[in-house]
Amino acid sequence: MAINSRSQQTWVIYVTLLIAIVLMILPLPDLLRQARPEFVVMTLIYWAMALPQRVSIGVAWFTGLVMDITTGVQMGVHAFAYAMAIYLVARFHLQLRQYPLWQQAFTILSLVFLVHLVSMLNASMTSSWHIWMPAVVSTLLWPFVYAVLRKIRRNFQVS
Amino acid sequence: MLLAVLASLLLFLMDARLDIFKPVRSALATAVYPIQSLASMPTNFTDWISDMLQDREDLRERITKLEAQALTQKVRMQRMQALERENMRLRELLGSSFRLQERVQIAELLSVDLDPFYQHVIIDKGKQFGVYEGQPVLDSRGVMGQVAEVSQFSSRVVLLTDPSHAIPVQVVRNGLRAVVTGRGLGEPLQVEYLPHNADIRVGDWLVTSGLGGRFPVGYPVGQVTSVTYPPGKAFAEISVKPAAQLSTSRELMLVLPGEKIDFSLKIPPVDLIPKPATDTPLMLQEALLPETTESPNPQDEQPAAESTPSDGN
Repeated sequence: MAINSRSQQTWVIYVTLLIAIVLMILPLPDLLRQARPEFVVMTLIYWAMALPQRVSIGVAWFTGLVMDITTGVQMGVHAFAYAMAIYLVARFHLQLRQYPLWQQAFTILSLVFLVHLVSMLNASMTSSWHIWMPAVVSTLLWPFVYAVLRKIRRNFQVS
Repeated sequence: MLLAVLASLLLFLMDARLDIFKPVRSALATAVYPIQSLASMPTNFTDWISDMLQDREDLRERITKLEAQALTQKVRMQRMQALERENMRLRELLGSSFRLQERVQIAELLSVDLDPFYQHVIIDKGKQFGVYEGQPVLDSRGVMGQVAEVSQFSSRVVLLTDPSHAIPVQVVRNGLRAVVTGRGLGEPLQVEYLPHNADIRVGDWLVTSGLGGRFPVGYPVGQVTSVTYPPGKAFAEISVKPAAQLSTSRELMLVLPGEKIDFSLKIPPVDLIPKPATDTPLMLQEALLPETTESPNPQDEQPAAESTPSDGN
């Protein structure tokens, strides 16, 4: 029984990650495409912060690999970027948990920007201010994502 | 962390350098196909809903419109066929072999947004339909791109606008050859490496030249929208608007290989039927010319008039 419920709880984590991946490739109008928030990074950061024993570099790396294949970029690009971001989160998760939400949001800003920069190293076309859009939108959305994921975690009692 | 970095670097190298890695990648792409179809579901669903909600009147109107369109296109096709046959005959006279018609297969776009910095799309045909890497992709107006990666049920298509894509073209007006490359989302295409004195103007149509052997000859690529000559640069800056509707086309066509029409085999049977019909009266007329100057058929008047002086001499 205990094993069964535990497996179901981790299942919740993977479902949220899957939903995040689907949100990343959901068709959007051209204007919004450039500003798509990095749902997967945000979800990974939340879980790495809340349950560092469940979601850590390995999970992040694997999620990044799935992203690489779904979006068709060179393999390992997202994997590397996500693993790097989650490494930082896992390292500082105790501090991050203490931060007020807006301060967390700024951590998200830098982390998402970092991830975005790394995953774009391979792309030859970059127009200056567009690079910032996903990071800024992610930052604005962070309180919302945080609330939703916390609600999910408490409802399903993931631990 | 070190492990993740090492694994990533290993993947970079394997993906970029090893050809053996391709089947692995293709298998993995097959594995993520459910995720992609899940993401395209909302669009399909809204399409389905709007299909359901269309009323009879609208549908009837559309059917009439489409029927009219089909009729005019059929008429045009007949003319095209006649012209094609004529073209083949002329080319045969010149002794040049030429690929005329390609068979195409319809594929539908999976409505999935990929990385906005890569101009890629996913289509719903894969290995099971014989799609192969490098296969040219067209839409109803022109060239869209080529297949970059094939998995079991889907494949990834690189669009013309992708910065890493280049296509050999020629100008319709004068046959000038060039290479057109992409510049990313929403940007026009660019003609590369044409010197300042190249004969290319705004409004020129570019079609595929067939050099490189990947794209079939003669499909429209785009129209030149601007030509500037930046001083101090070796090459002209030429922008091209793609002919294909890259952002709105949902149905696209995959050009099937192996449809090279061999002239020596195919033309004679096609040609034998009309040739005696047109040639014998013409020869007869030439022979009969001194006696009868008046030709009964207006079509034959031209050769008859031409042969008059030669016969008179």
